[in-house]
Amino acid sequence: MNLPSLLFSGFLILTLVSALGVVLNRNAVNAAMCLLLCLVGVAGLFVALDAYLLAFLLLLVYAGAIVALFLFIVMLLDARGDARPSLHRLPLAARVVAGLLVLAGVASFLLRGRLPSPEVAALPAAGAALKPYAYQLFTTYLLPVQILGFLLLIAMIGVIVLSRKFVPIEEGS
Amino acid sequence: MTLEAAKLAAADNLWGAIIPELMLGCIALLLLGLEIILPRKHHGLIPDVASAGLLGTLLGLFLNWKSVMLGSETFSGLLYHSTAGQMMRAFFLVAALLVCLLARLTLPRQPVPRVEFYHILLVVTAAMMLLAQSNHFVLLFVTLETLTIGLYVLVAYHRTQPTSLEAGLKYLLMGALSSGLLLFGIVLLYGVAGNPALPAHTSQGLNYAELARFLAANPNNFVAALGIALVLAGLAFKVGAFPFQIWVPDVYQGAPTPVTAFLAVASKAAGFAVLLALCGNGGAFSPYGWLVTPVLTAMAAATILFGNLAALTQHNVKRLIGLSGVSHAGFLLLGVVAAHHIPMAVGAVYFYLFAYLLGSFAVFGVMAHVSGPDDAEQELDHYAGLAKESPFLATVLAVGLGSLAGIPPLAGFMGKLFIFIAAFQSGARVLLAIAAIGVVISIYYYFGWIKAAFFESWQPPADATEGPARPARSPVGLLTGVTLGALALASVVIGFYPGPFGQWLTMR
Repeated sequence: MNLPSLLFSGFLILTLVSALGVVLNRNAVNAAMCLLLCLVGVAGLFVALDAYLLAFLLLLVYAGAIVALFLFIVMLLDARGDARPSLHRLPLAARVVAGLLVLAGVASFLLRGRLPSPEVAALPAAGAALKPYAYQLFTTYLLPVQILGFLLLIAMIGVIVLSRKFVPIEEGS
Repeated sequence: MTLEAAKLAAADNLWGAIIPELMLGCIALLLLGLEIILPRKHHGLIPDVASAGLLGTLLGLFLNWKSVMLGSETFSGLLYHSTAGQMMRAFFLVAALLVCLLARLTLPRQPVPRVEFYHILLVVTAAMMLLAQSNHFVLLFVTLETLTIGLYVLVAYHRTQPTSLEAGLKYLLMGALSSGLLLFGIVLLYGVAGNPALPAHTSQGLNYAELARFLAANPNNFVAALGIALVLAGLAFKVGAFPFQIWVPDVYQGAPTPVTAFLAVASKAAGFAVLLALCGNGGAFSPYGWLVTPVLTAMAAATILFGNLAALTQHNVKRLIGLSGVSHAGFLLLGVVAAHHIPMAVGAVYFYLFAYLLGSFAVFGVMAHVSGPDDAEQELDHYAGLAKESPFLATVLAVGLGSLAGIPPLAGFMGKLFIFIAAFQSGARVLLAIAAIGVVISIYYYFGWIKAAFFESWQPPADATEGPARPARSPVGLLTGVTLGALALASVVIGFYPGPFGQWLTMR
């Protein structure tokens, strides 16, 4: 096993373990921290695949901005780990069936989901440079980018509508 | 990507091809501008501007129906312009116009801002119109997210009512989950299509035609099949098909009535336009018919049975219409299954959607008049004696419900008939039998509603402080009266004489 594939495996394990940590942690702050680690692991995977730009964007946008936002909100809400509401327990049969289904899905994916893997080193590293990405955003994918502008606009307006106190207009005044 | 390739791609961005959507976007921005510059007493004009803009866009669309772009791809293959796409554009514009009309009736009953509602409605409509013409998974996902995020806001719009907020939250969680499934499926498909070790691999795996070419060369790839299954699951969430229908009753009940109508008709139609583009004959997933057909068949059968059986026990009319909407999604899925072999089935699905639009908005129009300030509590009992107090509304209700149930002379019957013929031709006999059982069950609850309106009289509760009083009915205005009458009349006329409209839709 050479160094790159060792690194890849290392980041893979880091990603999986910290992703489990996000789901299983009772404390919201710890879960957010695990999410941060998980994103670092994914960024490492991208680096191992020569996709430096994606790794950089992931760290900048998700790890930098979004997880920080999560932490802000968690602290604003003052969510404690011990105040978790108890969920309805499923009947035993349903739990067994659900578990078996998940097992069957994972097993079939492991057994049949293999793809022939080409020699990675021989492939051009797409996503490594900023320039082609930027060209595409402003040419091929200009329409989706414009639509995203509208998406962000209605999301913002939606937040204002749902959070602002409404002062009715007196008709005819 | 070299500079020359970039120039070529930029030259393919023919903005003239999407003038209707651009107009809607501009009008939406204009509404916000008007709210700033107009004095407050003239703010009542803004909904009129939105309706006039929609009407103008619809007229412009009809005048330029056979545009030069028909049958070609623009925006580097992101969009494909077809007659079906034009039809869905008109469909969404009509639906948005009718939603505007309903909103003018019901929104003033609540302490909520008005302008933003129309703004979001216009943006969502434009997104739906682009979605129906998309030919590429990137555009599909972006437009689908725009429409879903707009609907999250619209569903929770009555923010002073807990039911509306609850509906918004439920829709948000379910929508996020389904978007995640859809995106995961798209990524798997893109990844497997770009694998250089497989035959016919492509770097453009997000384009429907390229993906279909790749799938045809790899007919038994497990990862591709998994991706297709996930994409189908994500879309099934959006149309509310079993087993992804759990959000439907609560969201339909909690959302403001105009938004419920928009969800039921336009959002469902958008999902089916995408399903037809992906699973129809020659669609992206058509080489995987061995997977798509059984999955959709099972889903259709379960959806028809679940929707109809669950609707039987409902007393709240919004939940009833939501669950019956689930069963309509099942009938439409039956058409999608048939569309894999029978080209006529595509037209049948579109015809069904138009019939569903007419019937549903007739019913929602009556609901907007019967409901009171509490939008979520619309019980079947409130309809008692409607025929005596307002024969017009009762007639429109009866025609709308009859059309939804599929009673012979009405448009809904022709829609079901076309779909059943297509299913018969494609050999889905068992599914057809299940659908027939579903129709029989649906007649029971639709007629329970009609019975309440025509044959029952309202008895106020013995103790006035106990059971809720019935909300007062709004008088029917001229514009809404004419529109509701036109919807009912169209249901009757198209049912009796589908004529050129039906031929054009089904014989393509």
